[in-house]
Amino acid sequence: MNDKRVIRVALAGNPNTGKTTVFNALTGARQKTGNYAGVTVEKREGRRSYNAIEFIIYDLPGTYSLTAYSLDEVVARDFILEEKPDVIIDVLDATNIERNLYLFLQLQELGIPMVGAVNIADQAEAMGIKIDLKKLSALLGCPLTRTVGTRGVGTEELLDAVIAASDKPVAASRRISYGSELETEIELLTRELSADPAFAANYAPRWIAIKLLEKDENVHEKLAGCTNAESIDKKAAACIRAIETHFGRDAEIVVSEQRYAYVHGLTAESVTRNAAGSVQVIEQIDGFLMNRVLGLPLFLLIMWTIFQVTFKFGRYATDLLNLAFAQLTVLIAAAIPAGILHSLLIDGIIGGLAGVLSFVPQIAILFLCISILEDTGYMARAAFIMDKFLHLFGLHGQSFVPLMLGFGCSVPAIMAARTLKSPRDRIITVLVTPFMTCGAKLVVLVFLAGTFFGKNEGTYVMIIYLIGGVLGFLSSLVLSKTVLRGELTPFVMELPPYRMPTARGIAWHVVDKTGRYLKKAGTVLLAASILIWAMVSFPQPPHEAGRPDTHLQAGEDLSYSIAGRLGKAIEPLVRPLGFDWKIAISAVTGFAAKEAVVSTLGVLYKVGSRADRKGTSIKAALLADKTFNPLVAFVLMLFTLIVPPCIAALSIIRAEIGWKWLAFSVTYLLSLAWLLCFATYQVGRAAGWGI
Amino acid sequence: MEKTVSLASLKKGEHFRINRVTHAREVGKKLADMGFTRGTPGVVVRSALLHDPIEIRILGYNVSIRRAEAAGISVDRILPDAPVKSPKGKG
Repeated sequence: MNDKRVIRVALAGNPNTGKTTVFNALTGARQKTGNYAGVTVEKREGRRSYNAIEFIIYDLPGTYSLTAYSLDEVVARDFILEEKPDVIIDVLDATNIERNLYLFLQLQELGIPMVGAVNIADQAEAMGIKIDLKKLSALLGCPLTRTVGTRGVGTEELLDAVIAASDKPVAASRRISYGSELETEIELLTRELSADPAFAANYAPRWIAIKLLEKDENVHEKLAGCTNAESIDKKAAACIRAIETHFGRDAEIVVSEQRYAYVHGLTAESVTRNAAGSVQVIEQIDGFLMNRVLGLPLFLLIMWTIFQVTFKFGRYATDLLNLAFAQLTVLIAAAIPAGILHSLLIDGIIGGLAGVLSFVPQIAILFLCISILEDTGYMARAAFIMDKFLHLFGLHGQSFVPLMLGFGCSVPAIMAARTLKSPRDRIITVLVTPFMTCGAKLVVLVFLAGTFFGKNEGTYVMIIYLIGGVLGFLSSLVLSKTVLRGELTPFVMELPPYRMPTARGIAWHVVDKTGRYLKKAGTVLLAASILIWAMVSFPQPPHEAGRPDTHLQAGEDLSYSIAGRLGKAIEPLVRPLGFDWKIAISAVTGFAAKEAVVSTLGVLYKVGSRADRKGTSIKAALLADKTFNPLVAFVLMLFTLIVPPCIAALSIIRAEIGWKWLAFSVTYLLSLAWLLCFATYQVGRAAGWGI
Repeated sequence: MEKTVSLASLKKGEHFRINRVTHAREVGKKLADMGFTRGTPGVVVRSALLHDPIEIRILGYNVSIRRAEAAGISVDRILPDAPVKSPKGKG
C-alpha cells in the first residue's frame, strides 16, 4: 500500500481566482492547516487519491507576483525553491487573464513542470471573453485545462494533466523572451551562474539572473551560496546600469514591463473579446454600495449588523453553554464534598473551560460574517471606503473591522486582524484593539459611574469610550512612526468582482478559525484560568471547622491568598493613583476577566457588612469607604480602560503576533495606564475635583 | 491632444494610457506587477468619500490605489473609445 506513487503539487495563483475552490474540489475533506515555518502565513495541505496515485497538494498563498517585498510572495516562491514540488498548478482567472499570466510566466521560470487551471471560465464566457486554450497552451509550452472550481468541473482533467506533466521534463522552448536588450544581460548572468554547477542545480540560474536584475534582496542573499558570488554581484550591478541607461527607467520596472509586453503578445493571439456586458453588473452594484452619498451609511449599516449578530447571537449561544455548565456544576457538587477538589473542579477547571468555550459562538459567527464579506468581495470595498481616515493614523482601511469588533470583545477582534495582509499593519491593529472598550470593561465602567456619578453616569462612561478611541488612534500614530516605522506599504488593492460565496468555503473558514482559537489560545487560556483560580484560592487562612461561609470570611480568604498578597505588595505602586490594596487586588483578578473587578471589590468592601443583596450593598460599601471618592472612581475607570486586557485577549495576542509583541503590549499598556492615572489623580486632587 | 499628466489629477470617468511609473522599489514594483506598465490603458472609476483612495479599472479588473501612489504615475489622457481597444486587445 505504501509504495503507491506520490506526486507533490503546489497550488499557486492570484488572489480572488477561486484558487481555494479548486483546492477544495481537488482534495475534498482531506485537508490540514498550519503555518509556514517561522511566519504567520497560513499553510494548507490536502490529499487526493486518483488513478492509484496519491497527490499531496500544498495551497500556496495567493499572490500577484514573486517579489521579495511581500511576505506571501516570499513564502510562495521559497516553498517552490526549497521543497521542489513535482508539479505546480497555477490557477488562472479567465476573466482577468493578463494579470494572471504575468504570475504564470514567473512561476515557469522556477524550472518545475507546470499546469494551468483556467478557472471561472464560465463567467469569462458570459462576459464575452473567449480564450483559445489550445493556442495559448501551445504558446506557453504548458498544458492548460478548463475548471469551474465552485462546481468541481474539470478536476479529473486537471489531475490527468498533472500526471502527464510530472512525467515530462521541462521543455526549454517554454521560456519567455524579455527582448534583446534584457536578454543579453540575462544570458550573461545565467552563464556566470551556471559556472557553479552545484548552485545551478539547486536554483534555476535564469530565474536567479532575472531576479538580480529586479534588485531582489532575498535572491541576493541566496547568491552568497554561489562560489563566484562577488564577481556575479559586480556584473549584475553593471547589467542593471546598462539597462537603466538604455531604457531610462528603473531596471525592476523594465523587467515587469517586458514581461507584460510578452503577456500582451500571448493574449493578442489567443484571446478574443466581445463588448463587455457583464462588467456593467459590477459597476451597477458598486454604483450603489460605493455611492458617495449611500456608501458610508451602507457600510456602517453592514458593520453594525455584523456587530449585533456576532455579540447578540453569540450571547444566546454562550448563555446556553453556561446553562449546560451550570448543570454540570450541580452534578459535580452533588458527587464531591466541598473542599479543595470541589473548588478546583468547579471554579478552576469548569470555570476555565466555560471561559474558553464562551468565546466559541462569537468567533464562529464572526468568521461566518467575515468570510461572507471576503468571499463576496465587499471587504476590499470596506477598506476602500475607510482607508483615508484610518491611514491618517498609520492604520490600513481593513483595520476598521477589528477595531469595531474591539467594542464587543477583543478576542474575536484580534483574530479578525488576520484579514490584514501586511505584518506591520496587522501588528499595529492588534496592539491598538484593546483601547476599544470591550463589553466586559463596560460592566466595570457602568458599575463605577453608576455608583459615583448618579445622573451623569452615561456622560462619564462616554468620556472613557472617547478617551479610549483617542488613545488608540494616537498610539497607532506613534507606533507607526516609531517602533513599527517600516517602509510605506503600497495600498494597491484589487477590488475583485462580486461573487457568490460557496457554503463549503464559508463552513471551512468557520471550522478552521474556531479550531485554531481552541488549539492556540484555548489551551493557554485554560491553563491561565486554573492558575488564577489557584492564586485566588491559596493559601487558605486557618479556619475553624464548620464556620459558616460569610462575606467576612470570603474577604479574609481573598486577602490571605496569593492574589491578595500580590495586591497588597503592589499597593505602594498604585498609592500615587489614589488606590488602596483592595483596588489593587481587584486589578489583579481583573486579568481573569474584567467583570471580576466588580465582584472582587464587592467581596473586599463588604467585609463586615451583613447585607446580602448585591449591587446596592456594594455601592453603599464603596460610598461609605474613605478611599473612594468620585475622583478615585474616575481614575479607576480610566485604569480599567487602559490596563492590559484579560487573559483570554492576552492569549490570543500571543497566538496572533507572538510573545515579543505580547510583552511589548503589556508593558506599553501598563506604563500608559499608570502614567495617565497618576497624572489625572494628582492634578485632580490638587484641583480638588470630586473630593 | 495627448498631454502627459499625473494619474492623481484625472477625474472620475477619464480614460488614460500609462506613460511611466516614477516610483521605484516596493511601490513602483507593486504597481508594475499589478499591470501599471507603459502603454496600458485604463479608466478612473471613482474616488472614495474623502477623495482618497481612487479606483482604477485596468487590464479588465478594478484596483484601488492611494493618491500618493497615483501621483507617481504619469499618464496620457485619451478618448474613451478609440485607442483603448489597442492591438493588445483590452476594452
